[in-house]
Amino acid sequence: MATSSSYPPPPPFYRLYADYQEDAKSAPEPPPPVQGAYPLFGANYTTEDVLPTLEDQGVRQLYPKGPNIDYKKELKALNRDLQLHLLELADVLVERPSQYARRVEDISLIFKNLHHLLNSLRPHQARATLIHILELQIQRRRQAVEDIKRRREEAQRLLKESLQILDGHPN
Amino acid sequence: MDIISQLQEQVNTIAALAFNTFGTLQRDAPPVRLSPNYRDPVAPLSDDTINIAEQPKLMSAALVQAAKQFDMLVSALPLSEGGEEAQFRRITELEAENEAVGEELQMQLEAAEEELRQVQELFKQAADNCLNLKRPD
Repeated sequence: MATSSSYPPPPPFYRLYADYQEDAKSAPEPPPPVQGAYPLFGANYTTEDVLPTLEDQGVRQLYPKGPNIDYKKELKALNRDLQLHLLELADVLVERPSQYARRVEDISLIFKNLHHLLNSLRPHQARATLIHILELQIQRRRQAVEDIKRRREEAQRLLKESLQILDGHPN
Repeated sequence: MDIISQLQEQVNTIAALAFNTFGTLQRDAPPVRLSPNYRDPVAPLSDDTINIAEQPKLMSAALVQAAKQFDMLVSALPLSEGGEEAQFRRITELEAENEAVGEELQMQLEAAEEELRQVQELFKQAADNCLNLKRPD
């Protein structure tokens, strides 16, 4: 009945928490976090956040694979390739207009590669942001240590002075 | 906006300029003579045709400008060499340093709180003595 009505009632397990205020153990614990892959509304999602490689998406990779990619060089090379392909498309449209499809496919391949390269820069950016935040935090902590040292010395000095004043007026 | 998002935006701009250019050219192209058996098509000279001749120049200039902007943004990428391992090493170094400075800060804080407590105690005694010495008139 609950699946066919247009306004289904809330899930029934709220009743299990009736005595939660008096006895925290009488109600079930919340479920542990999901790990691995889980289906949601018919689609499969995964808990691991990894950028899928181009082959996983069925797209040819135009820039060389390897552990260390020279991003700037590859991005500039892809940009030049893109401009050349756009010129080729203009030529083909003038001379042999029926063969545009191959050229358009090549251009979209280059765009996919460009975006994939830019996306693969994001983990690097995340690590660089983390380094920056840590450096800022260390700087702030050092500043706080200096401040506290200075104030403590100031307080000691004031205390000594006041003791001297008091000793100077024995009553 | 951070530089990678700017680069992504620039790529999308180049794509938009490209398909707008080709679309406009295809839409506004004047008729062309296909066979020597037929006459040249009549192309009336008006403001529109003058604009149609100017548009490819302007649009292609915009496209090249966008590509140059992309190159400039790529040059401005702050990519430190050394890759992933160097970054991880730096992160562990910074974490250790952070830990050490944090401990020192904690020590200083505790010493300062102890001194504050002592000063408050002294002040309390001084205030009590003042009250005891004052005779009610």
